[in-house]
Amino acid sequence: MKAFGNYHPAVLMVYFLSVLLVAMFVTNPVLQLSALSGGALFAMALERPGNWARDGAFYVPLFFMVAVTNPLFSHNGVTPLFFLNGNPVTLEAFVYGIAIGVMVIGVILWCKCYSRIMTSDKFLYLFGRIIPKLSLVLSMALRFIPMFKRQMHRVSRARRAMGLYAADSFTDKLKSRMSVFMAMIAWSLENAMETAASMKARGYGIKGRTNFSLFRFTARDGVLLSVCILLLGVTLVGTAMGEMAFYYYPRISHLNVTPLALFLYGAFGILSFLPFFVEIKGALIWKYYVWKM
Amino acid sequence: MEILRLENVTFRYPKAAASAVENINLVVESGEFVVICGESGCGKTTLLRLLKRELAPAGEKTGTVFYRGTPLEALDERTNAAQIGYVLQNPDNQIVTDKVWHELAFGLENLGVPTALIRRRVGEMASYFGIQNWFRKDTDQLSGGEKQLLNLASVMVMGPKVLILDEPTSQLDPIAASEFIATLHKLNRELGLTILLVEHRLEDVFPMADKVLVMEQGRALLYDTPGQVGRRLGELQKDHPMLLGLPSAVRLYNALASGGRHPRALSDPCPLTVKEGRDFLEKHFGGRVQESGEGLPGRMNSAASHEEAVIELDKVWFRYEKDLPDILRGLSLKVYRGETYCILGGNGTGKTTALNVISGLNKAYRGKVRIAGKLIKAYRGQSLYRENLAFLPQNPQTVFIRDKVRDDYREILDVWQVPKGQQGELVERMAEKIGVTHLLDKHPFDLSGGEQQKCALGKVLMSKPKILLLDEPTKGLDACSKHALGGLLGELKEEGMTILMVTHDVEFAAENADRCALFFDGEILSADVPELFFAENNFYTTAANRMARELWPYAVTCDQVARRCMELPEEEGL
Repeated sequence: MKAFGNYHPAVLMVYFLSVLLVAMFVTNPVLQLSALSGGALFAMALERPGNWARDGAFYVPLFFMVAVTNPLFSHNGVTPLFFLNGNPVTLEAFVYGIAIGVMVIGVILWCKCYSRIMTSDKFLYLFGRIIPKLSLVLSMALRFIPMFKRQMHRVSRARRAMGLYAADSFTDKLKSRMSVFMAMIAWSLENAMETAASMKARGYGIKGRTNFSLFRFTARDGVLLSVCILLLGVTLVGTAMGEMAFYYYPRISHLNVTPLALFLYGAFGILSFLPFFVEIKGALIWKYYVWKM
Repeated sequence: MEILRLENVTFRYPKAAASAVENINLVVESGEFVVICGESGCGKTTLLRLLKRELAPAGEKTGTVFYRGTPLEALDERTNAAQIGYVLQNPDNQIVTDKVWHELAFGLENLGVPTALIRRRVGEMASYFGIQNWFRKDTDQLSGGEKQLLNLASVMVMGPKVLILDEPTSQLDPIAASEFIATLHKLNRELGLTILLVEHRLEDVFPMADKVLVMEQGRALLYDTPGQVGRRLGELQKDHPMLLGLPSAVRLYNALASGGRHPRALSDPCPLTVKEGRDFLEKHFGGRVQESGEGLPGRMNSAASHEEAVIELDKVWFRYEKDLPDILRGLSLKVYRGETYCILGGNGTGKTTALNVISGLNKAYRGKVRIAGKLIKAYRGQSLYRENLAFLPQNPQTVFIRDKVRDDYREILDVWQVPKGQQGELVERMAEKIGVTHLLDKHPFDLSGGEQQKCALGKVLMSKPKILLLDEPTKGLDACSKHALGGLLGELKEEGMTILMVTHDVEFAAENADRCALFFDGEILSADVPELFFAENNFYTTAANRMARELWPYAVTCDQVARRCMELPEEEGL
């Protein structure tokens, strides 16, 4: 299930940046809760149900750890709950801890979704447009690293079978490792000659190189991009107007519930649940087709 | 229509005494399949590179290469890059990018082709080559055969008129190599593509070719149809080293010719394929062989003393990880002192894994492994590898880590704490023994494949082993290097070395093994002397045996078949 991942990389990039921007810098609890729940649902949609429990076992304790840390170290706020070692543990610090926990977990979840969706080829494609040479270099590096690792493994096995890891002393071991590494560099350069020949043989260096990619910007990408920019714009304008301002210290402020504020909450809510909706829609359409067959 | 013409092409590398390529005159017609062969160092690769402007080596060149009537230098760079395709030897090193689709598009990107057109051309090529199933994969996940096919496809996508290939199958296993050659044949037949191919393994390729160019010391020795080349090479020189590399049928024909017998058979055209060879034998020798006269070859009873097993595996089971399937499934095996034991079998059956278990690199989770009568577990520290067992891995490059072969040899002596004063002499003695004295001060990576193999063997022999394990020792070697390796292994055996090798190369096994074994599904199915082993296989046997098995089921090498032909009286009715 990766319906959302099929959108154009540029749209995906804009989307992830907008959600992360708001989730990290706007301290309104409604916005942060919707970012967290949108991210959590999206992450679940990307993960096999079998792994949900395993992930939960990581995120839930992390959340509590973050939430508890703040009131232990921060004694701001005007409503002490109890005293610990002579220091007040305040309601405000406690609530703020929970808010930080929501923010941190939300951001981690979104980053996790980002890494699942924005695979290396998408990233390369985006940056290749800006710096064409760089994208080729990155692509070549991604090609080279696994090859280097495999050869290194082979060399170390060959050496083991020649009885060459006999040295007991640390310096001997270090020297041995170092010479293997130097040999690997020589090996890489040797191979690079052939790679260079293969590049030249296929016309690398001729002026007017184009950048090919499998991605195409279609109408649905345009729609998602406009929706995303519109919702982000609304949220940012609302924030700038102070419509969603919220404070924890010294006293927890009241949540703004004017119609305009509710509209703004709704706008960001839609933004953060968008990928989840797309995934669910994709799954439903698929089920429907299967059922019709 | 001629597509390539070489006029008096001569080339000399800077500071070299002799020319690498000397006075080559050659015309290649459009749509021809030309196979170029010659011993290593004969200038094949240099000649090929002179045909591709981007890869032309630096040096002193005279003469002209014409592509469709235009000198190569006068072509514009786009025509040149796109219309003359070049595929190199190593499947891994030619791949530039990390994704299959990107690799296919790379050449077209360089030419500045617009995205929409690239999409179409890439799609078309992927379908033609059957790449669509791994189109979105990482290039690193492909097998060797797939990688080389991708390299071919990513050259073909640019629409070349001439395709030049420099030993493209030398790093592939036989099945992948045949598939690759079949693809080339298809391109030649269906698209009329002109192909120039340098190859060691000529059994499949030789009969396919329209023309064969044999090179010797930079010169064109012969340039003719395969049949004519097969006949005339032997006429030029009875024991020409290149004869070793030719298909078995051609070798047999030439062996008869050099024996000077059976003139009537020799008046027929030279057979090229197994089928032609079988018909040739049937026509001239069939019906004259006594059915019962075929005794078992004498080598059967000799071999090593079947008393002392130096490698002994007893129902060994192995898997790489807990959840992965078993690779070795109750493998039992006995290798006796002083014999050469050859394990044959398909790709991915676990032959190499078996070697890893025997060499102590992997540990069996069930069963017993005994080396020289002692359980492998009982060897402490590095004692297994000291004057006992040595393992030469598949890729000889993995053995070297120094700048000079000499220093690599000394490294072993250092670990065994041989005094510095004695090291020089020991290194020299080893180099002399395996014939690499002139290579001692070279960088290991500067050597040819055959030289690397020899030097690597020398390095593992520095620890004075009594058991030698070899993994695919003939991979990437030409016929002469193989022959030399076979001779070297024979000498080691004379000195009492026990040799266990894993190989795909049935011809090499037939010529050099005392016993051959078929490895399948994690165990050894049958083990016997080569003559019996191959006689009982219907498909998995040498080309010579497939030609001659109706007449002499126990003749498995070309020499054995030729010898039996010679023993027969002359045909009557001349």
